[in-house]
Amino acid sequence: MPSLGGLLKKRRTKDSQTLASELPAPSENHSQVPDSHDSHDSSEGASMQPAGSSQASPQQPNNAASINNLINNPANASQGHSSGHSPNASQAQGQQAQQPPQQQQQQPRQERTTKGKYSQEDFLLQRTLGTGSFGRVHLVQSKHNHRFYAMKVLKKAQVVKMKQIEHTNDERRMLNRVRHPFLVTLWGTWQDSRNLYMVMDFVEGGELFSLLRKSQRFPNPVAKFYAAEVTLALEYLHSHQIIYRDLKPENLLLDRHGHLKITDFGFAKDVPDITWTLCGTPDYLAPEVVSSKGYNKSVDWWSLGILIFEMLCGFTPFWDSGSPVKIYENILRGKVKYPPYLHDDAVDLLSQLITADLTKRLGNLHGGPEDVKNHAWFAEVTWDRLARKDIDAPYIPPIRGGQGDASQYDKYPEETEHYGIDGEDAYGHLFPDF
Amino acid sequence: MAQNSFPGTNPFLDTSAKEKNPNIQKISEEEEFEVTSPTDVTFKQANTGGSAIFGGSAFAEGSSPAGTGAGASLFGRSPFDSGPRGGAEGGDNEQPAALPTGSAHHGFPNNYALGRRTSVSAESLNPTSAGSDSWTPPHHPKTEDQLARLKTAVSNNFLFSHLDDDQFKTVLDALVEKPIPAKDIKVISQGDAGDYFYIVEKGHFDIYIHPSGSVQPGPDGLGNKVSSTGPGGSFGELALMYNAPRAATVISTDAKSTLWALDRITFRRILMDSAFQRRRMYEAFLEEVPLLSSLKPYERAKIADALEPIKYPAGATIITEGDPGDAFYLLEAGEAEAFKNGVSVKNYSRGDYFGELALLDDKPRAASIITKTDVKVARLGRDGFKRLLGPVEDIMRRTEYQLDAAQTPVSK
Repeated sequence: MPSLGGLLKKRRTKDSQTLASELPAPSENHSQVPDSHDSHDSSEGASMQPAGSSQASPQQPNNAASINNLINNPANASQGHSSGHSPNASQAQGQQAQQPPQQQQQQPRQERTTKGKYSQEDFLLQRTLGTGSFGRVHLVQSKHNHRFYAMKVLKKAQVVKMKQIEHTNDERRMLNRVRHPFLVTLWGTWQDSRNLYMVMDFVEGGELFSLLRKSQRFPNPVAKFYAAEVTLALEYLHSHQIIYRDLKPENLLLDRHGHLKITDFGFAKDVPDITWTLCGTPDYLAPEVVSSKGYNKSVDWWSLGILIFEMLCGFTPFWDSGSPVKIYENILRGKVKYPPYLHDDAVDLLSQLITADLTKRLGNLHGGPEDVKNHAWFAEVTWDRLARKDIDAPYIPPIRGGQGDASQYDKYPEETEHYGIDGEDAYGHLFPDF
Repeated sequence: MAQNSFPGTNPFLDTSAKEKNPNIQKISEEEEFEVTSPTDVTFKQANTGGSAIFGGSAFAEGSSPAGTGAGASLFGRSPFDSGPRGGAEGGDNEQPAALPTGSAHHGFPNNYALGRRTSVSAESLNPTSAGSDSWTPPHHPKTEDQLARLKTAVSNNFLFSHLDDDQFKTVLDALVEKPIPAKDIKVISQGDAGDYFYIVEKGHFDIYIHPSGSVQPGPDGLGNKVSSTGPGGSFGELALMYNAPRAATVISTDAKSTLWALDRITFRRILMDSAFQRRRMYEAFLEEVPLLSSLKPYERAKIADALEPIKYPAGATIITEGDPGDAFYLLEAGEAEAFKNGVSVKNYSRGDYFGELALLDDKPRAASIITKTDVKVARLGRDGFKRLLGPVEDIMRRTEYQLDAAQTPVSK
């Protein structure tokens, strides 16, 4: 093992050096990435890598173990084999070293060209990873590089029937605009006569939802880890004026190293000031959404509160006998019962997130997301390290197969519908971006 | 070679040439192995659950005892373990070895739904979209009696209880009469799309729920009768929020009944348009306040979000001379008068504001403000203002700076 690890480490460093020399300097990087992305020659692969995984930057050695010490987890250091040569550490450093969040924030409207990028012909269809109101998500394998991706299929007729045309176009637009270690990457979209297709990263670790239900509830530090990664993702989205609106464990995926990726941008939207549409998930709706007052990005901070509560307790604070009406009444009443086993700091943070008073809700105040990050509950979090995925995750999904191992996802009945069928396309004009 | 690392690889990238090189292929597999190997331990922990070795070691490693559900041992590592602090919390840590005895959780709701939760969404509405200005809510005349009954019928409904008087009146006006001409008519069917909310004016209705979630064919297809409703009752309110499948079937039991109906789009339009107008008004008012003239639009929007509407009857005192100031007011409707030492010094009407100096400090109020009519104000406390935008002094300083820059040639 040690020699293998050493070998890998060396090779990886070599890779990254080669790569780094091929890459434009970080500052130019951002303007170059999307452009190069469009060309279909193989050289683009190298320039695409900043968002990918491998370019461990040479000036950042694999020092995960010492970092673990820094975040005061001595037990972890003694378990050195799990962190010393862990590829996730080098991956994480590479990922962020090229694109610190600060720089990403300076180029908000940078969009990749992903329209009509692929077709069904480019992928081998595999099992279903999840189902939704408009369609399903498949595991697919690229015929070009044999790697695995998640392909979200939306039935156009269903989207139209559910009056989600705008949300669907926004989903595509927002996803195309963002690039962040804790957000899923959209690689391309297309449509045929019946369906819309979106190809995204396949995130192997499955849903945080599954882990949470298996665990019933998370220990305080574990919930803290996930909450912190979500906080960074929200900060990034909001800095781009994007509101997310559907935070919940079902939409948080774990990568193979145990870091989060937020997926499902079905309700994400460009909202500089205020928006009106009631959407989200009942347990997670903020009171200003329930009461149709018009609302802003601060609803995501409310939802973060609900998420942290659910992670720590195993249930949501306003749930009531399965009736959505009762949930809404509880949300408007705003009374939260904090179980006695919650840490005082957690209760303090939650009460400042799950508050109807917008002049008190953390994240919405003068200090912005910093107020959340500086809260005592997050005291142990080294934010810049976390942003580089430089902190080992508390749980590593047991992915034993190769990259296409979908064992962490629940099984769903497969559908026999064929994709890519020619025919009359009544709705295509409604989705011009796909 | 760089292309070989898995996540974030462009699916269009053709690496087949490289993958013919067995060496590289191997490395990527070894990488996976390298990644997986630490998890083997955690995986065993997950599966062994109560095993003293793994369960115990999980705690010895310092994972917090705070959340010892059965799955706590899944977590081999706790990056944010707070050490002594973590140990201080909760009572569970007394017997860390006894963890996987099942769901010994306090305060866990009965029958909590553990499945995935579906997202919900209304149709996108946008007040600024073309044509919305010309939209006027429907008005279906009703007698005073009818209005009073309707008011009572919905007064406890969460969708109506927070409406202001104007919104409430507009919503009641928009309710449309729907005669049900016979017995055994299904007004709504379980599982169907829901677009209308109903209030019973006359007649009675039975409510059925089928355990399958929707009406089934056959004689027992309605499921079980769970209750019934009559005049003053209402059903289907969720349809005013979004298009959710109906949770029950409602059937008329009288030969002739009457319902009042309201559809979601109308309801939401009314709420949105009135909220939007109020907001525009707030922002316009705020622009008029010199103290706040340097606010950026998003800051003004934040304040507008946080303004709290309050109503006063005629003759009420909003501000008392000599009291420490703590809030700022916009006059939204009605008239008020300022008195100093009992002498009237100023009149206020719609769009005026007062008390803005309280945003700076808690100096005593220089005058009393007394309402002349019914008055609606929007209030913002100094503390709330500070929390949202920081100290007013900083905002004022911003203005001075801008003024200086504009007026002093040197500063150019």
